[in-house]
Amino acid sequence: GVVGLQPATALAFDPQAELLWAGDWKGRVASFANRELRRYTAFKIQIDPTEGPVQQFLFHEKGVIVLGRRVVHMAMRRGPVLWNIRHEGMKDLRCMSFTSKGASEILVAGWQDTMFVIDVVKGEVTKQVPAPHHYKIMKRGRYICAATETGRIDIVNPTTFKVEKEWQAHQSYINDMDASGDYIVTCGGSYKQQGPGSSSRVPDPYVNVYDLRNMTSIQPMPFPPLAAYVRLHPRMLTTTIVSSQQGQMHVVDIMNPNTTNIRYAHLQASINLFEIASSGRALVIADNDRNIALWGSPSDGIQFTNIGAPITFPEPEEPAPHVDWSVDAPLSTVGMPYYYGTMLFSAWPADIISDAGAPPPQVDPALLATLNKTEFGYFGPNKTGLRRNQIEDTRASKASNKLQAPKFLSERARDGPVTDSHVDQETLAQDAAESLKPEPPP
Amino acid sequence: EQQYWLAREIENGRIARNVMKLSVILERGDLGSQSNWSEVGDRFQLKLFRDYVFHRVDASGKPDLGLGHMLSCMSKLDAGVDEQIMLTSRDNETVFVITYRELRGMFERAFNELMKFSKSP
Repeated sequence: GVVGLQPATALAFDPQAELLWAGDWKGRVASFANRELRRYTAFKIQIDPTEGPVQQFLFHEKGVIVLGRRVVHMAMRRGPVLWNIRHEGMKDLRCMSFTSKGASEILVAGWQDTMFVIDVVKGEVTKQVPAPHHYKIMKRGRYICAATETGRIDIVNPTTFKVEKEWQAHQSYINDMDASGDYIVTCGGSYKQQGPGSSSRVPDPYVNVYDLRNMTSIQPMPFPPLAAYVRLHPRMLTTTIVSSQQGQMHVVDIMNPNTTNIRYAHLQASINLFEIASSGRALVIADNDRNIALWGSPSDGIQFTNIGAPITFPEPEEPAPHVDWSVDAPLSTVGMPYYYGTMLFSAWPADIISDAGAPPPQVDPALLATLNKTEFGYFGPNKTGLRRNQIEDTRASKASNKLQAPKFLSERARDGPVTDSHVDQETLAQDAAESLKPEPPP
Repeated sequence: EQQYWLAREIENGRIARNVMKLSVILERGDLGSQSNWSEVGDRFQLKLFRDYVFHRVDASGKPDLGLGHMLSCMSKLDAGVDEQIMLTSRDNETVFVITYRELRGMFERAFNELMKFSKSP
């Protein structure tokens, strides 16, 4: 199958679900289900698309961990986020690996001087560790194998994060690396100077191999078409799949490198990403022309995981019954689905106090004067000194309220100037009626 | 006859309380961390559910005001059924697959958080 999308910057088969995960240069992630690569879920790991590409995926039973340049994100396979970690020290992350604590802890590193240890379950940074070197690729074998930008592999203790051994695998750079329990395999090369300030990569015509049990490099596997990508077969422990930049693939045994099985991928453009599924029964190649090609044996059945349980999609919803917006249409037309032994969401907590019957809050006339009048009302900044929508205690503030309840005539007469004998009864009555009206704007 | 009216009123109350609870929770943006509600936050799916229920459009982009859909979605949320639905963001770059049961749990957590804040001294 071939899927067109933005050029992928990271690609990985999920070892626990029939999903292929792809990330792009804007920090977007999409998953593709089953061998048809039907688009399943999608999410973003960062709000700002210019923060950099998706770098790497790791998989946990609860979800997928996605590394960006400045963020580590964990989401459920079905999409919703579990956690999203940002830290000011996360400046240019490039790679990550599980540590000695199984899948419950990861180490993240990059082109920066600090590495972070993250508790996957809690979603917290638990430790910061100085980075011995800047790293671009990490793979977990017996140790954490970390490739530097200078062609070297650091073999890092997964408990102490100290470098146990260094191995100069290639002269100048490492293009790809894989590690399993016992072996590290690498593709890389040297730089050739092309005049002042520019150089080009010259890939080595072999794959380098390191034995992690004996801590020693062993005989390289020759690859005349120039090795660009390499993966260890997940089931056949000494078998590797090597590919050139153009898609010539060799299946080679580390123990017996002179017998090879050759395949050609017909690509529109050079290879960008290359991955093998944990079942060993599917292979994916992304090229620079935005194609993702899935390889496998049609007769054996292409399967990503050992379990092979296919991903299911939501059933199309049943059409809901038609309900009128008319006043007479009963809202009970659509009943409840079957439910049992559960608290309904509509259950309202009993201990919320509702106050009813307080006089409504009034707008202070002095405040109205600060607002601009338009035909639809008044507008302007909030200068009440209160929060937006803050509750006012209209009962308690009654005494100090400038707007008092209308008075009876008798009360008015009592309050009025007693010395004035010429109280015009008619004016008084008018005043009283006026005070019953809502407060006019000044 | 009386039973019919009683059932109807109970149903109306239930729906009204559901809608009020959703309205209390969504688009506040004043409590807790704002980033929870962003595209990379753990509350984003609650906004997407509101869109799924109330902001539907047909193929030509016209608003679909079918009450039946709204009522049936609210009832399923109320009961927290295991049916899966697909929630999609406006830019189509976020697609979640989620059950009503999970959504109800998430809405309840958000509501309980508001309750906790409302009671804190």
